[in-house]
Amino acid sequence: MSSTPGSRPSTTAIIGWLIAAAVFLALAALVVLNAQSIWTSFFPPAAKSVEGTEIRNLYDIVFAIAVVIFVVVEGLIIWTVVRYRRKPGDDVLPPQTHGNNLAEITWTLIPTLIVLFLFVISWQTLNNVEAVNPKPDLAVRAVARQFSWSFEYLPAGADAETKAVFAITQQDGPTGGLFLPAGKTIHMYLHSPDVIHAFYVPQFLFKRDVIPGVNNQFDLEIPASDAGETYRGQCAELCGIGHRTMTLDVHVLAPADFQAWYDKQVTAASATPPPPPSGAPTIQLVAQGLEFDQSSLTGPATGFTIHFDNKDNLISHDVDILDAGGKKVVDNKDFPGPAAQDYPIPPLPAGTYKFECSIHPTQMFGTLTVQ
Amino acid sequence: MATTTLTPAASAYRSGLYEWLTTTDHKKIGILYLVNSFIFFFIGGIFALTVRTELAAPGLQILHDELLYNQLFTMHGTVMIFLFIIPVLVGFGNFVVPLQIGAPDMAFPRINALSFWMLPLAGILLLSGFLTGGVAQAGWTSYSPLAQDRPLASTGPGEDLWIMALLLIGTSSILGGINFLVTIFKMRAPGMTMFRMPILVWTVLVTSVLVVMATPVLTSALIMLFIDRNYGGHFFDAGTGPGSAILWQNVFWFYSHPAVYIMVLPAMGMISEILPVFSRKPLFGYKAFVFATAGIGALGFSVWAHHMFTTGQVFLPFFSLMTFLIAVPTGVKMFNWIFTLFRGKLTFSTPLLFALGFLSMFLIGGINGAFSAAVPVDFALQDTYWVVAHLHYVLFGGSVFGVMAGLYYWFPKMTGRMLNEGLGKIQFVLMFAGFNLTFFPMHQLGLAGMPRRIADYAANAGWNDLNLAATVGGFMIAASMLPLLANIFISRRAGKPAGDDPWEANTLEWATSSPPPPYNFDHLPEIRSERPLFDLRHGREAGH
Amino acid sequence: MTASSTLVTTGDPGHPVAEHNPVAAFPHDTRGGISNPILGMLLFICSEVMFFSGLFAAYFSVRAASIPWPPITKDAALNEHFNLHAEPWYAAGLTLILILSSVTCQLGVWAIRRDDRTGFIRAFGVTLVLGILFLLGQIYDYSTIGFGVSDTPFGTTFYTLTGFHGAHVFGGAVMLSVILYRGLAGQFSSRHYDAVEGVSLYWHFVDVVWIALFSTLYIL
Repeated sequence: MSSTPGSRPSTTAIIGWLIAAAVFLALAALVVLNAQSIWTSFFPPAAKSVEGTEIRNLYDIVFAIAVVIFVVVEGLIIWTVVRYRRKPGDDVLPPQTHGNNLAEITWTLIPTLIVLFLFVISWQTLNNVEAVNPKPDLAVRAVARQFSWSFEYLPAGADAETKAVFAITQQDGPTGGLFLPAGKTIHMYLHSPDVIHAFYVPQFLFKRDVIPGVNNQFDLEIPASDAGETYRGQCAELCGIGHRTMTLDVHVLAPADFQAWYDKQVTAASATPPPPPSGAPTIQLVAQGLEFDQSSLTGPATGFTIHFDNKDNLISHDVDILDAGGKKVVDNKDFPGPAAQDYPIPPLPAGTYKFECSIHPTQMFGTLTVQ
Repeated sequence: MATTTLTPAASAYRSGLYEWLTTTDHKKIGILYLVNSFIFFFIGGIFALTVRTELAAPGLQILHDELLYNQLFTMHGTVMIFLFIIPVLVGFGNFVVPLQIGAPDMAFPRINALSFWMLPLAGILLLSGFLTGGVAQAGWTSYSPLAQDRPLASTGPGEDLWIMALLLIGTSSILGGINFLVTIFKMRAPGMTMFRMPILVWTVLVTSVLVVMATPVLTSALIMLFIDRNYGGHFFDAGTGPGSAILWQNVFWFYSHPAVYIMVLPAMGMISEILPVFSRKPLFGYKAFVFATAGIGALGFSVWAHHMFTTGQVFLPFFSLMTFLIAVPTGVKMFNWIFTLFRGKLTFSTPLLFALGFLSMFLIGGINGAFSAAVPVDFALQDTYWVVAHLHYVLFGGSVFGVMAGLYYWFPKMTGRMLNEGLGKIQFVLMFAGFNLTFFPMHQLGLAGMPRRIADYAANAGWNDLNLAATVGGFMIAASMLPLLANIFISRRAGKPAGDDPWEANTLEWATSSPPPPYNFDHLPEIRSERPLFDLRHGREAGH
Repeated sequence: MTASSTLVTTGDPGHPVAEHNPVAAFPHDTRGGISNPILGMLLFICSEVMFFSGLFAAYFSVRAASIPWPPITKDAALNEHFNLHAEPWYAAGLTLILILSSVTCQLGVWAIRRDDRTGFIRAFGVTLVLGILFLLGQIYDYSTIGFGVSDTPFGTTFYTLTGFHGAHVFGGAVMLSVILYRGLAGQFSSRHYDAVEGVSLYWHFVDVVWIALFSTLYIL
């Protein structure tokens, strides 16, 4: 669409430019009004671990360089495009510059120096992040299964193979998740018995894959000032149909609170389970193919036993009982199949409850009527 | 606008079905590749739109079965990479390269036809799982042990169909790569030395080297996975067997990283043809560009483990350094393109608009890739939507915009008719705006912690608005396909006749009729530079 | 086709536009150098080298991670069978057969180069027979070797490597048969033998892969 020099732009063109100006002003207003949250959206969340802070500092430097490069190069493109438009009717060839060796050398050398700088600082940060304290204050093994997390607390002087003192699963509510002390060095071991998962907490700016057969481990230290906070994480490596449900909560406790919590867990783990009430009936329940064989059970209010047969090879299940409000009233330990265990169910008030497998709650659940 | 007088006169492609099914003519095969690829582009696009519709708001709205969600993004990636991007660039190469070097056809025309027909067959095989018990669901990266045949992993035929389809496609690719290399090395017209070849031919050359050297490694990986799944093999069966999950990743990425250069280098070649023509200047730094392309090809074999930084099982500093270094030749190309435009006289036809879109979007894709090259930053960003943003900025903002530029540029040569400029500009604006609206927010989503490949997300995670914006953008991209389709169908019959050389271009394909006769050239002009047609038009002195 | 005046360029009468034959680049191109089919075969062999590289890389990776190698299972008989080092003689015999077949193959190429068609047919016939002998020997080896593809990664890598090599030998045997058939039909001469040369290159490649395989699996 060329116009002869000196003619007025058409009405359509004017309307077009007005619309473009209106849209631009609207967008600019939106940006200005939300400037703060737009700015922070270009950065990861505030780092809540010592390693995460290192990573954030590196990110900031990379970001600054990236912004400069973007503004310069994109600016050059835009300026060139605006400035060197062909005037209508101009048939004279522009200077046929084939190249310029000095220019080539310049824009080879300078980017090389920039990337070498970036490489060196990221290598230094990497060494800091990967550094491992030979005497950590706490060792925890995060076990990723399809499709939930559990956390095994290991005794002092543990290695990758050490058995746990006790274990906590990730569940809804404040009693589930990964409990960690603030201001201490924690050594995390990662283990998966099935497929590849990834341990990812955005506020640590960190993830590490959990690979079957591989002993990945790393140090984690949360500053003392973050005691009392909870951070969300989730599995970040596609692990199957329950991938989106594999969330995890990290609860940070002040050292004294953590010690109290830890001792309580040790006591609970070493307590013997209550014997099944004498004369109590036994209900049979089978898990196979990620399903329970019954969706409704009935049991007496005086207590009973669930004989639970897990037929799924290498897949762990359990049977937990929740009340009508969703609170867990009976929490049984999961175990991998093929195996069977007796779960003693203590006396419960009569009413309707839900039973579920805590690892596969979306597929394995049913109604328990206590009479 | 020159016109060649041909005896006998060339006809437009009105040949019958039998001719199209049995042709060995590189021009027709090229068009077959383009049509087939665009069909799969739309199929892959529909998968993407379904994914985006599900993610527009928290909660599972349209897909109650997370299995189907996993299948959809797996098929989206697989179809787009193996049945769209790689073949569409082969299609352009097929049509244009023999013409640009003054050859009558490819070196092995019958193998060329075989290479093409393996693709629709592979596509049907790949997608047939939707009718027969399920398609692959382990992501296009198909990591083991999720890809193994065990409960909660990849039971059913889908993964095996995926393996077999990719084996077919890989074979098609390798045969095509051999064909291009022999054609380029052996069939150039007299006077066309290697350093007088058009840049597109150079990029196809380097791409073909990558194809011939890297694709067979994928073949070996696929075969090993097939043996694991079906014959009790122990290559990758970690978790329940002694195999190594990391071994799969290493063998897979050894191909799949060079694959990304296979997916972008020819598109870079195409815009390197277009920018000079629409600036009326030669490509700035032709030789540097050739060396940069070769450098990218070579370096591309040394960076594969940067996809595995978070596994804790690779030698991080080496791969980080090589990944950073590959930014240098890429930057050289970027500056060469910009300085081609600089002090030129730019005509903003649709091909140039898409080429400019390529420049600005690929720049962003390259920059956000540099973040991931810094290993500790990658610990935060890997497997989040940041990576989805990066890969789409380079593959869509880069390669697809390059494909669109090439389509508008060479459609006249293929059909004898111009595509409509008005519709082209509408498509460009819609596509550019929609693309950025879809993928820019994904940077923020990744930074905020949204992982990839999740069917749903928590309502209180703070990701709702950005996801909704991305979905709206996705539908804008879909909408931009309408002017494109309308343009193609209308212009095929009623577009402005193009003549031999509607763009005042530089290379040999414009020295014959549109479309060219089956034997391509009646006469060839003298070839004394990389712009033989420019020299013919303006005299050799004017070019220097 | 005559030179058309529409393509005269600079108008410099001292340098008229040459009439360039656009179909100059077929295999009998007098510009010389390697012929198209031979170059194509060499590139194909490059791709096959990369294919086997992937398999070898997997083998070495698996082997490095498995201590001890060969693995020691609960089945003593199986452990015995894994010890290929103890009895490499049979496989060495197969190696000799294949090396011999490469020699006869090359003799055949030299024969056809000097137009000795009988010599070429005879040499390629012997090559094919040796190749089939190798395949039969491989199959017999499989039947007596005492472990299967699912018996530890050792079994998996052994069968995958030798199996795909065997498949390539089979492909080579098919190609040799085609060459023999065409040769008997009189299609080759000292001026036209590209296909013979191409197939011989492939056959040598298959032999070299076997030597690498034999050294890796039985000696290392």
